[in-house]
Amino acid sequence: MEELAAQDSPVHRLHPLAKLLVAVGYILAVMSFPKYALTGLFAMLLYPLALFQLSGIRVSTCFYKLRVILPLVCAVGVANPFLDRAVALRVGTVAVPGGVISMLTLMLKGVLALMASFLLVATTRMDSLCASLRRLRVPGVLVTLLLLTYRYVGVLVDEVSAMSQAYALRAPGQRGLHISAWGSFLGQLLLRSMDRAQELYSAMLLRGFHDHFHYVAIPPFRRDSAVYMATSAAFIALARGVDLPRLLGGLFVR
Amino acid sequence: MHMADALLAPGVAAVMIAASGTAAGLSIRDLRRDDAAAKLPTMAVTAALVFAGQMINYTIPGTGSSGHLCGGMLLSALLGPQAGFLSMIVVLVTQCLFFADGGLLALGANIWNMAFYGCFVGYYLIWRPIMRSRLFSGLGDRGGSRARIALASILGCVITLRLGALSVVIETTASGITELPFGAFAEIMLPIHLAIGLVEGLITTAVLLFVHETRPELLMDAGDAQAGASRWTLRSTLVTLAVVAALVGGVLSLAASGNPDGLEWSIFGNADGGYSANMGLDEEAYGVSSAAADAAEAIQEKTAFLPDYAFADSESPAGTTVSGLLGSAIVAALAVALCALGGFFRRRRKA
Amino acid sequence: MIVFEDVGFSYERGVPVLEGLSLSIHAGECVGLIGANGAGKSTLMQLVLGLLPHNGSLRVDGLEVEKKNLAEVRRRVGYVLQDSDNQMFMPTVLEDMVFGPCNYGMPRAEAEARADEVLAELGLEALRNRYNHKISGGEKRMAAIATILAMRPSVILMDEPSATLDPVNRRTVIRAIGRMEQTRLIASHDLDMILDTCSRVLLLSGGHVVADGPAEAILRDRALLEAHRMELPLCLQRL
Repeated sequence: MEELAAQDSPVHRLHPLAKLLVAVGYILAVMSFPKYALTGLFAMLLYPLALFQLSGIRVSTCFYKLRVILPLVCAVGVANPFLDRAVALRVGTVAVPGGVISMLTLMLKGVLALMASFLLVATTRMDSLCASLRRLRVPGVLVTLLLLTYRYVGVLVDEVSAMSQAYALRAPGQRGLHISAWGSFLGQLLLRSMDRAQELYSAMLLRGFHDHFHYVAIPPFRRDSAVYMATSAAFIALARGVDLPRLLGGLFVR
Repeated sequence: MHMADALLAPGVAAVMIAASGTAAGLSIRDLRRDDAAAKLPTMAVTAALVFAGQMINYTIPGTGSSGHLCGGMLLSALLGPQAGFLSMIVVLVTQCLFFADGGLLALGANIWNMAFYGCFVGYYLIWRPIMRSRLFSGLGDRGGSRARIALASILGCVITLRLGALSVVIETTASGITELPFGAFAEIMLPIHLAIGLVEGLITTAVLLFVHETRPELLMDAGDAQAGASRWTLRSTLVTLAVVAALVGGVLSLAASGNPDGLEWSIFGNADGGYSANMGLDEEAYGVSSAAADAAEAIQEKTAFLPDYAFADSESPAGTTVSGLLGSAIVAALAVALCALGGFFRRRRKA
Repeated sequence: MIVFEDVGFSYERGVPVLEGLSLSIHAGECVGLIGANGAGKSTLMQLVLGLLPHNGSLRVDGLEVEKKNLAEVRRRVGYVLQDSDNQMFMPTVLEDMVFGPCNYGMPRAEAEARADEVLAELGLEALRNRYNHKISGGEKRMAAIATILAMRPSVILMDEPSATLDPVNRRTVIRAIGRMEQTRLIASHDLDMILDTCSRVLLLSGGHVVADGPAEAILRDRALLEAHRMELPLCLQRL
């Protein structure tokens, strides 16, 4: 993820605040589509795809992340075809119930929202994202906490995997942690982490920390960011307001 | 438990963001009184620990399955409710940003469902009263506090997870996302989360007992049994527990009575009818017609039934549907062209 | 530069960890601090930084190490921790390097310029924008040293600077220490490194300084070292 964010492209160079606001706006628009508005929602796909192309990030990189969010979305949506059987659409002789449409809409919403937040994180460095959060008046305590946690997640994930490996090597054939080690495994790590936190605090104090962090200097808000925000807002408003695919199709069929 | 953006309507998401934001603001204000800066590293490292700890698979004895840690109760027992809440927020934000676990705008809801209950309800209504009570004082000093830790952890995890699961149901239903009636959905979610809560409670117990053995000073309210006894008597504990029990019981019965066998009815009872208008009739036939059920039905008709007709109407001229399909195909073609174009330019830049 | 006068430290109601320390370290000196595990090496360093309270009098640059002088003392004394992960708590190397200077009121641009200067001195320009959790152990140690140098301290304390490094990285660190002009106090079990870098050695044992003298003399004294659970540096064992 960090490697993606550290690349360079027109999208990476945009002002982080602009990207954050557009992503939020886009997701809001996606969420607000009515539940049968499958065709209208489909047009929204063009926006993340364009960003993927401009930023040079492959669309496929975000798909493996879908496995995390899709289960609950599916669990909620999968009942719709059974419960909502009013025929919404006939394709030849096949009747498509409204439930199927609303289920597909729900899943598409999940995918689109995921793409938008993935693009935000994949094209923005965490430190500049934090700096722009700070500019949005998010309390400093929270932003500093986020920054520090982000730094230590990697350290602790490494420790946990080293410990799990050590455990697995001496416990062949066990799929997880045996109940006798439930407490001490995480507990040991917890105690060590508490000591680490203490040392970390010393390290901060020794370098003159009093109560706030100095964040990265965000590049100034340049014209490209303004253009980006304006075009995105226009597209989102258009796609949300008008059913673009239906309109397009209407040009050819009556 | 992590909700995706797709499961929420914008209004519901906004309400939850406001609620969680308020709780976070109040926590920060309370935290400033004691030295928040000194607590920051501990909060960050424990948040990272909870995050990493979720990778660990705990084998549940006697079953083939495994459990995971969620962390709200653990953090509030170690850091106190305010700091624990902020740490949980950061865990959830990190999960959302880097693992797509939960949506960006659903963060408000996720924070509320997983962090708020675990930290505030879990701490003020369960952990502190139990830890400061004289429960189990017959077991001696050490045995007593061990038993209290176990009770508080398990009860805390089970109750707060149920509250969280219930909130997921409420938020989804309020968003009009699912056709599942409230009762049926709750019936699916709640038992699953009862099991998850029990396992999480056991894991939390194990970890906290270990900490209690080795570094008891790290635990909130441990060893306060005597000091706080004057304020937190057995009676006040029982009263609190009764309140919690009533709360949970009420919520459970609400969920259970909403529609005793909602799912089966919906699936089979509706098989030939084909439209939701059946709902009211069938419900009456089942004899579940209270004021509440009527109200729920009215809401359901508004949210689910009307759009049906609107949609059905709009598609009646067959052409509209065809134009929709054709238009979607054009958009898909555009999307493919866009990708091809991007690939072309990338290759040219490389060459 | 650093003056100890009858300095001691003990945990509450515990046995003293350090007792009756009297010595002075002069400007520009590079002093090795050796002793078995638990001899009090880290404690001694933490006393200098004011992280632990002490008895007696302890002065850095003429400033008594006490609450009102702490900010000034810490500005002059840089401390390289043994675990670089604990030292480097910001996401990127650059952020970490500007953290200290910014906290002492330096404008951001100036702090970045200084960070670049230090990186160039150490030949670490490539690390500038790297993520702290993505760089290797050796790079991390060098980056941690850079972080401290960016504060332009007049005294540098190092806790096991060569631990867990491969031979090449260890050599790089030794060279960097050798090139510094600041007063240096280096705690380590790596006696070969001490021999390479330090002109003077303090041997701690049981809370006391049991030997204080030229590195060559102390590190060759097999009887002295072995009496205090140490061994001759490897390079001297074969002779």
